[in-house]
Amino acid sequence: MLAKLIYKDILVLIRDRSGLAMLFIMPLALVLIMTSLQDSTFRSMNERGISLLLLNHDNDSMGLAIEREIKASDIFSVHQPANIKEYTDQQVKEAIASGHYQIGLIIPPNATQKIRNRVKENLTTVLSGASIIHNASDSITFVVYLDPATRSTLRSTVEVSVRELASRIESQIVLSELAKEIGARMMIPLTDPGLLRQKSVFYREEYAVKGNKKAIPDSVQHNVSAWTLFAMFFIGIPFAGAMIKEREEGSLARLLTMPCSYGSIMISKVLVYLFVCYVQFILIMGMGIYLFPLLKLPALIMDGRLGTLSVMAITVALAAIGYGIAIGTIARTHQQASIFASISVVILAAIGGIWVPIFMMPPLFRHISKVSPLNWGLNGFYDILIRGSGLQDIIPYMVYLLIFTAGCLLLSLYYQKLRKENT
Amino acid sequence: MTSANRVITIEGLTKVYKGSTRPALNNVSLDVARGHILGLLGPNGAGKTTMIRILCGLLSPTSGEIYINSFSVRRQLHEIRRIIGVVPQEIALYPSLTAYENLSVYGGICGLKGWTLEQRIDELLPVFGLEKSLHNKVIHFSGGMKRRLNLMVGLLHNPQILFLDEPTVGVDVQSKKVILENLVAINRAGTTMIYTSHYLEEAENLCTDIAIIDEGQIIIQGSMDEIRNSGRFSGSLEEIFIALTGKALRD
Repeated sequence: MLAKLIYKDILVLIRDRSGLAMLFIMPLALVLIMTSLQDSTFRSMNERGISLLLLNHDNDSMGLAIEREIKASDIFSVHQPANIKEYTDQQVKEAIASGHYQIGLIIPPNATQKIRNRVKENLTTVLSGASIIHNASDSITFVVYLDPATRSTLRSTVEVSVRELASRIESQIVLSELAKEIGARMMIPLTDPGLLRQKSVFYREEYAVKGNKKAIPDSVQHNVSAWTLFAMFFIGIPFAGAMIKEREEGSLARLLTMPCSYGSIMISKVLVYLFVCYVQFILIMGMGIYLFPLLKLPALIMDGRLGTLSVMAITVALAAIGYGIAIGTIARTHQQASIFASISVVILAAIGGIWVPIFMMPPLFRHISKVSPLNWGLNGFYDILIRGSGLQDIIPYMVYLLIFTAGCLLLSLYYQKLRKENT
Repeated sequence: MTSANRVITIEGLTKVYKGSTRPALNNVSLDVARGHILGLLGPNGAGKTTMIRILCGLLSPTSGEIYINSFSVRRQLHEIRRIIGVVPQEIALYPSLTAYENLSVYGGICGLKGWTLEQRIDELLPVFGLEKSLHNKVIHFSGGMKRRLNLMVGLLHNPQILFLDEPTVGVDVQSKKVILENLVAINRAGTTMIYTSHYLEEAENLCTDIAIIDEGQIIIQGSMDEIRNSGRFSGSLEEIFIALTGKALRD
């Protein structure tokens, strides 16, 4: 009997071409588009992608050092006008406003000399025993023009870079002038201490992953995980639709007058859609591994974890199908189900970190995200793909997802009982 | 009617839907004899479909007891489902599946398989004139073909008791004739039927017994001869129906 129900559900599914497109083509297209879009953002953040228009009016140590450091950084793609003397600040501003560059940086004329003069003056004052009087005309101002669409994180990157470089150069000048002064007074040739040219503090950046795993998070790993989950939960729409259609056409009622329980009808659907979800998962993973490199996107690194990922994917699929069953049972019409399912999945995805990573959310939403089953699934996928976790590490997420599934099924059975009593 | 002859027994059946003050069925008691065709007739909203849905186990009664072949609908539904066939008012078929696939699915769920199922399909196909359309999708069928297939599904597993909820609604004269002739033949083979319809002439010709239900209560019950011989009524079933239920429009 169960075999016949499964046979029927498979036939109904494969004959519904638009439904099939929604189940397979839509998620693949979504993963491909989102990965391509976010990968370019990712590259712009990590490679020489941020276009910076530099107008260096200071042809001395500070201006040259900042220019050198910015050019050497991995963040900016530096552009400098050929006719720098004829180029005005207003032109820089207009170039940014017109969107040709994301950032414009103007290093003022004689910046190094001004600092040098001020340092000398201050040293003389200090060494003569007098107090330093701050003179505003001695200060220099770096002007940074930003494209309004530039992310706030990028603004602070530029600000911190310029501040750090200016501060380092200023310190070098202070030390150099101090050495000169001391050398002159003590008759010792201390003209170039070179102290601040030597970096003594370094920092090492390493991703905290388990074992010897080399994979680092990238747009592919985020998007493949996130949109696989989203696609699985989106199955709730055709799933609930199929249930309601069966109910509206009277086929469900007819099945229930036969030696066939509501549970077996649901088990058949769960098995068929579980298979669909798994095929969907394999296709998306396959696309990440084989197709993305051909499209010049980073390849998905599975690192031999298909088994663990499959267990996680099946658990997520069960939760998604449970959600679909609940909607299909509770909703009265196809329209009601499709509107509720699509909006609720989008909300659960949004709060679950599918669209916006959790760390970018306000504190309140970081807490709220913990109630989304998509967040449990996403954390499970992240743990496996990015943090190198094994099956035992993802058990808590699996337990949450299975409790969610059980809750949805119990709610459906309760509504089915109510329906039997009242309609 | 002896108890051995009784195949369906309904005792004090009441159904009150949640949120409604008026019972859809109000203390209904009814017996159906083995091999009979009971025409359950009534205006819209009288309670016919509610009664059929309760008899099939699709709806729970508020109170009362129902026995089908001595099995309680409340406690032995699984046994009842093996001996009943249902032909619902809706075309309860999968439109994207072919006629054969529909028959195979429903037949398989009713326990028919392999050669038995194939033989039963082969037996019924010419009876309902669907041989040429066996492998066509139901979505391309005419209304009459769908109705015939709908009936065929209900008969596949040779049910002892058949519930028919307006099986001829919306079909052409030819299809209606085929359906009714086959129902008579099936009944002669021993199948008990409960049949609801708004076509009173059709019911008068087909049914051995009539029960007219209105506002949730059975207002008359018996064979056409018994009803006429009661001395209260004369004329056609339609005239009796109007006399009992009135001329006012029903929702």
